[in-house]
Amino acid sequence: MRPERKRPGQKNPLSRLAKKPPRRVLVFGIGNPGREDDGLGARAVEIVAALRLPGVTCDANYQLNVEDALTCSAHDVVIFIDAAKRIRTPFAWSEVMAGAAAPAMTHALGPEAVLTVCAGLYGRNPEAHVLGIRGHRWGVGEGLSPRAEGNLREAVGFLKEFLARRPPMKGAAK
Amino acid sequence: MARKITIEPVTRVEGHGKVTIHLDDAGKVTQSRFHIVEFRGFERFVQGRPYWEAPVLVQRLCGICPVSHHLAAAKAMDVIVGTGPTGLPPTAEKMRRLMHYGQILQSHALHFFHLSSPDFILGMDADPAIRNIIGVAALNRDLAVQAVLLRKFGQEIILATAGKKIHGTGAIPGGVNKNLSPEERDTFLKGPAPLTVDQMIAWSQAAIDLFKGYHKANQDLVDGFAVFPSNHLSLVRKDGALDFYHGVLRAVDADGHKVLNDVDYQDYLKYIGEEIRPWSYMKFPYLKSLGKSAGWYRVGPLARLNTCDYVPSPLAQKEFETYKAYTDGKPNNMTLHSHWARLIELLHSAEVIKELLLDKDLQGTKLVKLGKKAAEGVGLVEAPRGTLFHHYRINDDDQITMANLIVSTTNNNEPMNRAVHWVAENMLSGKPEITEGMLNRVEVAIRAYDPCLSCATHALGQMPLEVTLCGPNGNVLDRKTR
Repeated sequence: MRPERKRPGQKNPLSRLAKKPPRRVLVFGIGNPGREDDGLGARAVEIVAALRLPGVTCDANYQLNVEDALTCSAHDVVIFIDAAKRIRTPFAWSEVMAGAAAPAMTHALGPEAVLTVCAGLYGRNPEAHVLGIRGHRWGVGEGLSPRAEGNLREAVGFLKEFLARRPPMKGAAK
Repeated sequence: MARKITIEPVTRVEGHGKVTIHLDDAGKVTQSRFHIVEFRGFERFVQGRPYWEAPVLVQRLCGICPVSHHLAAAKAMDVIVGTGPTGLPPTAEKMRRLMHYGQILQSHALHFFHLSSPDFILGMDADPAIRNIIGVAALNRDLAVQAVLLRKFGQEIILATAGKKIHGTGAIPGGVNKNLSPEERDTFLKGPAPLTVDQMIAWSQAAIDLFKGYHKANQDLVDGFAVFPSNHLSLVRKDGALDFYHGVLRAVDADGHKVLNDVDYQDYLKYIGEEIRPWSYMKFPYLKSLGKSAGWYRVGPLARLNTCDYVPSPLAQKEFETYKAYTDGKPNNMTLHSHWARLIELLHSAEVIKELLLDKDLQGTKLVKLGKKAAEGVGLVEAPRGTLFHHYRINDDDQITMANLIVSTTNNNEPMNRAVHWVAENMLSGKPEITEGMLNRVEVAIRAYDPCLSCATHALGQMPLEVTLCGPNGNVLDRKTR
C-alpha cells in the first residue's frame, strides 16, 4: 500500500520531532539530470550537500539499486528525494516503509523495495521518508523548468527545517 | 470467448513495453506481440552539439547502462579525432576496459540474482509475494548478500574509472581523463573484505555451480523452454576470443556457419539493415545478406558464446568448454541457457578485472592521443545486453549533424517476440484459465534477454509492470500491477 501523502501546511510533520535524539541521516537523490525535471532529486541533494551538515550523508544516482540497501542499513533516517508527476502540491512528504516485495522486471528498485531488502538482508529498519518534488518537463536536456525550480526551493526549505529540528549525529560518515 | 491478454510494464516515461496475446473463442493463441516504445528523440537532440560532448550527453539516454553508451560514443569519437579504434594509449584503453568489465560484472550479477534467480530457486509458479530476492534470502541469505556485494563491487569500479555515478566523464575523445591510483587499485585487490576481486571471482564461480545444479535437476525445463533456431551476432576479438570492448563483427547461423565473417564495424551499414513494422515503434534489425525474413539475429550472452572461439581467461574458459560440450560445439539456441552464458561472462569479467588491476599500465600518465580529424565515426561495444552501435557525423564546425544508435534491446526485438510467441503457443494456448504462473513464463522468456525497458526518465507514481486481461471487445477483465 502506498503511504499517505501529507500536504505541507495542513499538518506540520516537524512539530513532533524537535526533541528526538540525533541520528545518522542519509539523503538520497534519485533521477537523471539529463532529462530535465527528472533531475530534481539530484539537484536537491547538491543543495543539501553544500550545507555540509554533520552526520548527513548525501548520495544520488539515476535509479535506486539493490546495493543501496546496504547504504541505508548504516543510517537511522533515510530521505529519498525524487521527481514526482502525480502530485498537485509543489512537493509531498510521506513516510515510507519496507513493503511487500514483488518480482522484478527491471534493474531499478523503488524506495519500499530497497527498504525491504535492507530489512531482509541486514535486519535494519531505518525511519524513511520520500520527498517527492513535482516536475513538469521530462524531455532530453539539462536544467529544470521554471516551475520545477520553484517547487525545488519550497521542498528544500522544508527539508532544511526537518534536518534542523532533527540534528544528525556528529561524526557520522559523510 | 475470444480474449486479449496484455502485459504492460509501464516503467519510465519512454522505453516501456507490453505484451499482447490474442486468443480466439477456443482459447487458442492467434497472435502474440511484444512491443517496446523506444525513445528515438535522442538522435535529434544531439544534432548541433559539439562532438566532444557526446560521451557525456549519451548517458542521458539510460539510467541502467550509462557506461555502455558512454564508451560506445567515446569509441566513435576516437575515430573522429583520428585516434582510431585501436590507437588509444595503453592506459586509456585499459581504464576503459576496466570501466566496461566492471559494468558487465555488476549488471550480470544483478540480473541473475535479483531478476532471474527467484524463478529458479523459488519456482516459476511460486507466489509473486515471495518470488523475489527477499524470497531468495529467506532460503539462502548468503546468496542474496553476495548479489548485493557483487553489484557494489562493480559499481565502485565504475566510480573509480568514470569519476562520478551520474554523468561520468572518464572516457573522452582520444582517451580518458584519469588513471587508477595505487590506492584505488589496492582497495579492489585487498579490500576491505569481502569486497576484493578474488572474492568476486569465487562468488562468480559459485553462481555458475548454482545454475548447473538447477540445470541438472530441471533439465527438461531449462533445455526445452523457448527454444528456436536463430542467427547470433557479436563483436569478437580478431583472433576469435570473447571481447566486450573491441573487435570485429561476427555472426553465425543456427548451425554455426559464419554468415558475417569478422568485418570492420565501421562499415556496419553494409551489413545491417533495420526493418520497420507498422505495429511496433521499435525497429527490427537484420543481416542484409540473408534478407529481412531470415536475417534476424540474437545478441547478448547466448549470442556471444556462440560466436566466439574461446574465452581469454582460465576459469571462464574451463566453464566455456563445459558449456560448449553440452551442445557438441554447435550454437546454443536454448533461451534459458542465456543465464548460463551470462554467469560464465560474469566469471570472465571478474577475472579480467583482476588481470587489469595487476597491470601497471593503469597507473600510466599518457592518457590521450589525437590524430587527423575525420567527419564520421562508428563506435561499438558489447553492452551487458548485447551489441550496441553508435554512429555519428560532424560538420566543419565540429557539430554533430547525424547520430544513429542501435541499442541491444532493439537488436533482440525479433528474438524476444519469438520467445514470447513460443510461450504463448506452448504454455497458454488452449488452456481454460490463464494463471499468474503462466504469465510469469512470458516474463521469464523476456527476462532471459534482460531488455532495458527503463531507458529514460522516471518519476514517482509509475508502476514497473502492469498486466491487463481484456475480453473480446477490448474490455478489461483483470489488471495486475507490480
